[in-house]
Amino acid sequence: MNLWLTFRLALSRIVAAKVRSALTMLGIIIGVAAVVALTAVGQGAQQGIDSSLASLGANQITVSASTTTGLEEKDAAAISEIEGVLKTSTEVRTRGTVSYGSESLSVSIIGVSPEYEDLGNPDVAIGSFLPTSPGLQNSRTVVISARGADELGFTRESVGDSVRLDGLAFTVVGVLDDADGFGSGAEVYITQEAARSLFSKSPYLSVIRIQAVSQEAVSPVEYRVESFLRYSKNVRDDKDATFSIFNQAALQDTIKTVTGTLGILITGIAGISLVVGGIGIMNIMLVSVRERTREIGVRRAIGARQSQILTQFLMEAVVLSTLGGLIGLTIGQLASYGFSVLGGWEFFIDPTTVFVALGFSALVGVVFGVWPARTAAKLQPVDALRFE
Amino acid sequence: MSDYVVDLSDVRREYQTGEVSTVALAGVSLKVARGEFVAIVGPSGSGKSTLMNLIGCLDRPTSGTVKVSGKDISTLDDNELTALRSRAIGFVFQQFQLLPLTSAVENVAAPLLYQGLRPKEATKRAGAMLTRLGLGERLDFDRGRLSGGQQQRVAISRALVTNPDLVLADEPTGALDTSSGAQVMDVFKEMNAEGRTIVLITHDLEVAAAAKRRIYIRDGLIERDDADTKAGAR
Repeated sequence: MNLWLTFRLALSRIVAAKVRSALTMLGIIIGVAAVVALTAVGQGAQQGIDSSLASLGANQITVSASTTTGLEEKDAAAISEIEGVLKTSTEVRTRGTVSYGSESLSVSIIGVSPEYEDLGNPDVAIGSFLPTSPGLQNSRTVVISARGADELGFTRESVGDSVRLDGLAFTVVGVLDDADGFGSGAEVYITQEAARSLFSKSPYLSVIRIQAVSQEAVSPVEYRVESFLRYSKNVRDDKDATFSIFNQAALQDTIKTVTGTLGILITGIAGISLVVGGIGIMNIMLVSVRERTREIGVRRAIGARQSQILTQFLMEAVVLSTLGGLIGLTIGQLASYGFSVLGGWEFFIDPTTVFVALGFSALVGVVFGVWPARTAAKLQPVDALRFE
Repeated sequence: MSDYVVDLSDVRREYQTGEVSTVALAGVSLKVARGEFVAIVGPSGSGKSTLMNLIGCLDRPTSGTVKVSGKDISTLDDNELTALRSRAIGFVFQQFQLLPLTSAVENVAAPLLYQGLRPKEATKRAGAMLTRLGLGERLDFDRGRLSGGQQQRVAISRALVTNPDLVLADEPTGALDTSSGAQVMDVFKEMNAEGRTIVLITHDLEVAAAAKRRIYIRDGLIERDDADTKAGAR
């Protein structure tokens, strides 16, 4: 009795008892589908986070003022002299009202230094970003975030129009795309010089962005910047700090830890559901062996060896569990496709997922099929034939 | 190697059920030569089923020796016993015992497949055997679409397909009406006429009359061993 025939026999068994087979496979189906879908969601989320982080620019450290007087322009000047710093950009944030036609909106007004275009990586959808040449730094030009543009009723043709910021006329030169990293809201960007002269006359800064010379330099630069700021601000205790430092690499590490934990969780769910599914298969196989005792007796009488009976029942368990795995995988992939459409990430079938899902399903069949199959093989032909 | 297909000497078989020991065979000696057609006759509880199990290499004796095709079955392990059964014995059961979800030809091919024959060859031989027994038109029928008599002929084909030394039939007409039963008995007579050794177990004296030798068994012992005086007449 070769394996192909044994496989066909097992398959015809499973097909003959459709409802029973389906119910038996349910545990495996649900387990595998859930794990496949969860894994895809995890991978999609990771993808989203990675691209968000990438949009923040490479090798950056962000220092934010935690009080209104937390950072000063002289700090930025001093930081740009620190070893390992490639360049810095600065931002001044205030709140104000922007009006366009009959619409008006409360917004964050962000005055940015010319280097911001390099470091902040603004994603311009229409028009251009603010002028960078030194001679134009006092020009009254403004770039509006997507949400701001949306709420003001801006269209593609509105670039070049005039808006009023707290009553002062500015020319709109560009509109940003809304996928600009975290916390995109209603914001307008103007040059820092304009902000200084018109809105925020104090010498304080909201944010200093620092780009290190290399990936390796990020940590030492962060340390030096923090030491410098602590010294110059006379910070002795963490609670007295007037600033906070945010390092992208550190965030990435945190996210990796979180996704790692998520991975362990998914593996745990997978393990439990496969064991439960396996027990279901074992249960039904034991019932099957009992129901088919006479058949086993006849097979032994017409020349089946113990090993051939064992193979037959083991094959049935493995086909049952693998088929369950296959169905679960299909459902899981369909669900992943659905999530990818909802979550806006790229859908792909990961060969590892396919391989692991089917491999483990088959393994469950072997592990939980062995005992029933051995029970079948060990039956005494005489007793099996006599069994009513 | 003797020319006896079955050679039992002083065979005892006892069953232990808890404290109680039941004697099913109390010292049976019996030889069946090649080409014989023997009926083992007895009422239920006489020990004839136990005798069949021993001759069929499905069971081992408590004491005494059972030789089938010259091999002492007490010395064989499970695999060797299975191999002997596969080569030497063809079983025909009362309830036909065709395999479920399996067509006529697949049923008949099964013993050959267990012997390790290639599926193509096994199917060819199974088809030829069924055709010989008049079932050539029903090779792909499963047991639900075959009458009792047809099912029993499939079972007989399955017993014969391995060309065994002995066909062992347990009440082969027990589940059939009179005319189907008579047809099945005709098949056995023909087989014997071709030189096939047959041992038939039955409680029915009319069925036993078809055999050339009748062994009456009662309370685990052979009561009478009647060779047909007209042996070879048919």
